[in-house]
Amino acid sequence: MKPLLLIVLAAYVVAAIHAILAFVNKRRTLERITLGSVAFGFVLHTFSLVTDWTGEGRYPLFGLRETLSFLAWTLVATYGLVIFRYRTQALGSFTLPLVAILTFIASVTRDNASAVATREVTDPNAAWLFPIHTTLLIFAYAAFFLVFIASIMYLMQERELKLKTFSAIFHRLPSLTTINDIATTTVGVGWTLLTLGILTGMIWSSSLGNGLWHNDPKEIFAALTWLLYLLLILYRASAGWRGRRAAWMGVVGFALVLCTFFGTRLLGGYHVFG
Amino acid sequence: MSIVLVGLNHKTAPVAVRERLAFTDEACAEGLRALVDGKVVNEGLIFSTCNRVEVVAATIGESEADGRKRITDFLSQSRCVAQEDFQSHLYSHTDDAAVRHIFRVASSLDSMVVGEPQVLGQVRRAYSLAVSAGTAGRVLNRLVHQALHVAKRVRTETGIAASAVSISYMAVELGRKIFGNLKGRTVLLVGAGEMAELSARHLVSAGVARVLVANRTSETAQKLASQFNGEAVEFSRLPAYLAEADIVICSTGASEYLITPAIAREALEMRRNRPAFFIDISVPRNIDPEVGNIPNLFIFDIDDLESVIASNIREREREAERAELIVDSEVMQFQQALRTLDLGPTLGALRQKLQDIARSELARQRQRLGELTPEQERAIESLLLSTVNKISHPIIHRLKSSYDAGENADVQTWRDIFGLESGDGGQGSGDG
Repeated sequence: MKPLLLIVLAAYVVAAIHAILAFVNKRRTLERITLGSVAFGFVLHTFSLVTDWTGEGRYPLFGLRETLSFLAWTLVATYGLVIFRYRTQALGSFTLPLVAILTFIASVTRDNASAVATREVTDPNAAWLFPIHTTLLIFAYAAFFLVFIASIMYLMQERELKLKTFSAIFHRLPSLTTINDIATTTVGVGWTLLTLGILTGMIWSSSLGNGLWHNDPKEIFAALTWLLYLLLILYRASAGWRGRRAAWMGVVGFALVLCTFFGTRLLGGYHVFG
Repeated sequence: MSIVLVGLNHKTAPVAVRERLAFTDEACAEGLRALVDGKVVNEGLIFSTCNRVEVVAATIGESEADGRKRITDFLSQSRCVAQEDFQSHLYSHTDDAAVRHIFRVASSLDSMVVGEPQVLGQVRRAYSLAVSAGTAGRVLNRLVHQALHVAKRVRTETGIAASAVSISYMAVELGRKIFGNLKGRTVLLVGAGEMAELSARHLVSAGVARVLVANRTSETAQKLASQFNGEAVEFSRLPAYLAEADIVICSTGASEYLITPAIAREALEMRRNRPAFFIDISVPRNIDPEVGNIPNLFIFDIDDLESVIASNIREREREAERAELIVDSEVMQFQQALRTLDLGPTLGALRQKLQDIARSELARQRQRLGELTPEQERAIESLLLSTVNKISHPIIHRLKSSYDAGENADVQTWRDIFGLESGDGGQGSGDG
């Protein structure tokens, strides 16, 4: 367990708690605390990842601990971008708790990633492709998580507008149009990243002489996910599926993302390294 | 010194009484000069709006009754109204209670509609009148500034003004919930009712770009449309224009449904499923409630709006409870600030007096000391001043503790011993 990651964890926990309190209480001072501690945690987290990279001479995205930590970092980065673009603090109360949990698991997990960073991954032929493959996919996951959150917020808000009974949460959520914009943008970004991630994976695998496709569960789920989000994008573009149906698709899509992410661990296959 | 507030508001007095006591801006300036006489009242402020008339005074004496009587007399004389005509409607508060009342008024906790935003501007206006009449001094300056600060805190830290409480403003609030920014949106008014007009006015000031008006009588439509630089459209072509409008407000006297699910569905298709927001404030309703089942279409009838307003009012009341806590803590802070505010000049004068004595004695004896280097000269002066400070220190300490304990007689004794004037520049030498 690294002391630096513990400080990062503490910053994220503080941020998550204040984000939730701000959501409940709607106090601007709390939002400032959230942003401050997220920024602080993010800088330290970045530093921690960089030292891991330079220290071990290996890209810090391998094994469960590293993956979770990297995923948390990615989520914070995407959250930051959305806050910057749309100024919707409400997102923090959904994203930051997950970030804190991921960081917590990462900080208590031990994996012997460096031991299993095997010949394949470090094969000089295409070694540089592997980190790109994993990084792209991690960012795609983060984007899809945001789509998922935006979809949930959309469904909550839409339901209340239809039923005309407003809970306290209603006043804290951004407008339907804003949520819809967030979902549309992030689903596009996420799908592009997913496409590139899958492509780099294929190139990497074939350059090692392992072929493009292995029928492994992760690959199948990834293909399904890819298809589903493509459909979602097409439907959104053709305008037939705005609003609630698109939101439901964002939720279902994320379930597939989870299967893709954890698929290997449960079902085994080519993508098992550790 | 004490702060006295006497007044009446919409809860204690009918408009027939309030209007007789109301001050115009000119009357206010004139009245303030009459109120502040330097004998009983040292500083004054008149707060006169359509819902309340209140006079705030910083009095010289400590007697609550004197201050109250002075203000009541003033109101009666200045407004030429017999005291018995309004006396029973009056309330009065002193010191902490007065401070709390002013904070609550500025924060809109005492308003007819809790959380309404106008009152803050009215407080500012009343204060600037007092400033230009020269009747706002140290106490009222401090009081008003803190009241504005409290109002700002309440506004940002509680949701007291977060949600709409009128039907006409509901269109803006719900519109924002659906569309986010209302800039560049189009609103279609079906029927030219008064409520629809008021809603349109709010929507336009929130950024709505285009106003369409459909009415059975085209003249009425023209007239209303011209108010918003809008367009009057043919009533018979309503379904076509429906597709162009993001927000539709229906308020006709029609006895049948003007917008049926079929019409709405078609309009939404033409909008490529972009969300639409229909408000039906007509009774009987003009929009078939079935329309509400269409996805991406949100419809609110008069009952829906009323029930949202009722829940918003409840929300405001909950938030008002939190606001009261803020007011409480600010009243305590003001209390503390006021103490030093009052004692400060006394302490300053005491130090000054003792230092002056030391300096003048030094000047008197200076010749006898002969030639001195600048260091020696400075040493003598600092020796004298530090002696003086050492002597005055226990006195100041005693003064402060007496003051904090509220033993004003004790404070006054020390003032008398050193011949110091109390708080405010010459007028109140200890007849308190």
